[in-house]
Amino acid sequence: MKILALFTIFVLIFGTTSTSLVSDAYAQKNTNILLDIATQADRQILNQLDRSYGDLVPSDIQILYEKGHAAVKSLESSLPNDVEQAREDFLTAMKSFMEITRMISEPVTETKLATSSDVSDRDLKSELNRLHKYFQSLKTIFQKHNMETDFSEIERLFVLAYEQINSNLIEETTNTFHQLESLIHIKKQEIREYSSNSASARIVEFALNQLEKIQKILEDPSIDTSMPEFEKANSLVVEIETLILEDNISAAKEKFGELNKIMKIIKRSTVE
Amino acid sequence: MDPEIVPIHRKEFLREDGMLFVRTDGILDTMTKIPLLVASMIIVAAVMPIQSSFSSPRILDLVIYPDGSTHVSSEIDVDPLVTDFELDLFGSTIDNFVVVNENGFLLTTDVLGNSALVETFGSSVITVDYDIHDLVSKQGRVWTFSLDAPSDFTLLLPKNSAIVGMTNLPINMEIINNQNQLTLSAGETEIDYLFGTVPNTPDPTVPNTPDPTVPNTPDPTVPNTPDPTVPNTPDPTVPVNTTSQSDNLTYAIIGGITVAAIIGGATIIRIKQKTVKSIHDQQTIQKTETIDTETIDTETIDTETIDTETIDTETIDTETIDTETIDTETIFKLKPDLREDDKEIVKFISNNGGQVLESELRKKFLQPRTTMWRAVKRLERNGVVEIEKKDLQNLVKLRKNMEEEK
Repeated sequence: MKILALFTIFVLIFGTTSTSLVSDAYAQKNTNILLDIATQADRQILNQLDRSYGDLVPSDIQILYEKGHAAVKSLESSLPNDVEQAREDFLTAMKSFMEITRMISEPVTETKLATSSDVSDRDLKSELNRLHKYFQSLKTIFQKHNMETDFSEIERLFVLAYEQINSNLIEETTNTFHQLESLIHIKKQEIREYSSNSASARIVEFALNQLEKIQKILEDPSIDTSMPEFEKANSLVVEIETLILEDNISAAKEKFGELNKIMKIIKRSTVE
Repeated sequence: MDPEIVPIHRKEFLREDGMLFVRTDGILDTMTKIPLLVASMIIVAAVMPIQSSFSSPRILDLVIYPDGSTHVSSEIDVDPLVTDFELDLFGSTIDNFVVVNENGFLLTTDVLGNSALVETFGSSVITVDYDIHDLVSKQGRVWTFSLDAPSDFTLLLPKNSAIVGMTNLPINMEIINNQNQLTLSAGETEIDYLFGTVPNTPDPTVPNTPDPTVPNTPDPTVPNTPDPTVPNTPDPTVPVNTTSQSDNLTYAIIGGITVAAIIGGATIIRIKQKTVKSIHDQQTIQKTETIDTETIDTETIDTETIDTETIDTETIDTETIDTETIDTETIFKLKPDLREDDKEIVKFISNNGGQVLESELRKKFLQPRTTMWRAVKRLERNGVVEIEKKDLQNLVKLRKNMEEEK
């Protein structure tokens, strides 16, 4: 009994602390990445300060930068031995840099203008990339179910759109993009149609399997057959079977939800 | 025989070998309750990590595009016994929402604000992909990504972006196609980045890899078109992602605890069986001794009671048979559309004096509970039988007034 008690305590302690152990282990293993990120941020901030203020950096920002930079230096020296200190230094540095960027980001109108064309270009490219990823998802579904369809036109248009973006042909890219959208939409409809057909079969299979399981539960001798839920569950089983036979899937789905709720009550009463 | 009855708990036994027996009730309680308690604690400890992982994403990958929109890709374990699953989304501005199950079937979804109802119908794993515009905001030149993540996740930042501030510690960082991919832990995360003017210094140990998720983006003519934001699946040449390592370790821990719990449980059951058996043997010995002293006095009374009871029930039974037995042929004539198997049930009830417990019907016809229940209900609907509750059981009786109704 003593051994058993010790074993239980061990399992409990290990079970409750295991999650935090995992995270700690990985953070410790990769402490060098903290230095990489902090150093990169330090360089970026210095560059931003130089661009925004030149030699006339406001004192509050200068203090913050010095604090952050000192934390990066401390982080460098505390690695790899003092992991706790390294973490503290990292957070101090990154929070200081975060404050600085938020302070310097607002008044710079010049930079905004300089990058505005880049941003619009990036937007279109981002949209195209997102659409491409979406297309890939749909294509995977087609391939998974061996559905025969022709993607060549869509793929050709993607190539064209990327070419147009690279050539900075904004209007042409937009047109191609719209063409792609409508073609992908048609493909999506095809999948939806296929899915709704296969979904009915899948739902019927699921429902019949579940009904079989539920019947087994209802046949458990420990269930109090006099409870009203028992009768209700049985009649719902019959009702769902009938609805499935009549191919009334949506009504069967609804009844199934009802049956699941009743089964929860029955299971609870059995446990009690 | 000694007529004096001595309560067992006041009696002390001194066996021939001189061993003293004491009361076992308390020990029995302790021996059964403590192992049960221990077993429950082990189960709780073992189940805790599993519960925390259930319904939260087991894979969560985010890709930030240069315009601040984010692609979310997650794989979630769902309960295969339920019809649908309510998925919490990270915002309400959702595009390109696709959910497939483990067999690659496109699932029906209904997006409502910050959540989506997915009709899973037996699926155990769903893969969710969508684009969202709520996770990144921009102030001046600074882009801020913020998320309260339900699990550890990977975050691929846009090309040429540089992190300039973050609120928590990353688990890992990799460079993929000149893009920073961070692995972050669950909880609130805020990351500030901007599109750098100082080029990122790629890790020389990690080779640049082609976009693995865009195998069919045919762009041989355009060298600069590879999608910078799409890469999501780590290339096999890149060192193994820590998330999967972490997952493996977590699974190993859960597996270890489960195995330990099973072994512990089996040991407890074994100990318990032995204990209960030996206590039971001892009790039997003690009880037989007590009965020896008690039985004689009560024997006469018992037999008298039994006699009268037997008479009473016999009288009732014969009365019932006389008054309630109905000719099955009449029933079948009145109800010609009865099914053959239902007729067999009616015959059996009739042969049993017009009434029988539903459990007896199940035993006789070897039918499962629900099947018999339905048959009985059918007969009730046809007006052939009526059902009464008797000691938490269904008593099925042939109806007497069938002819009158007809």
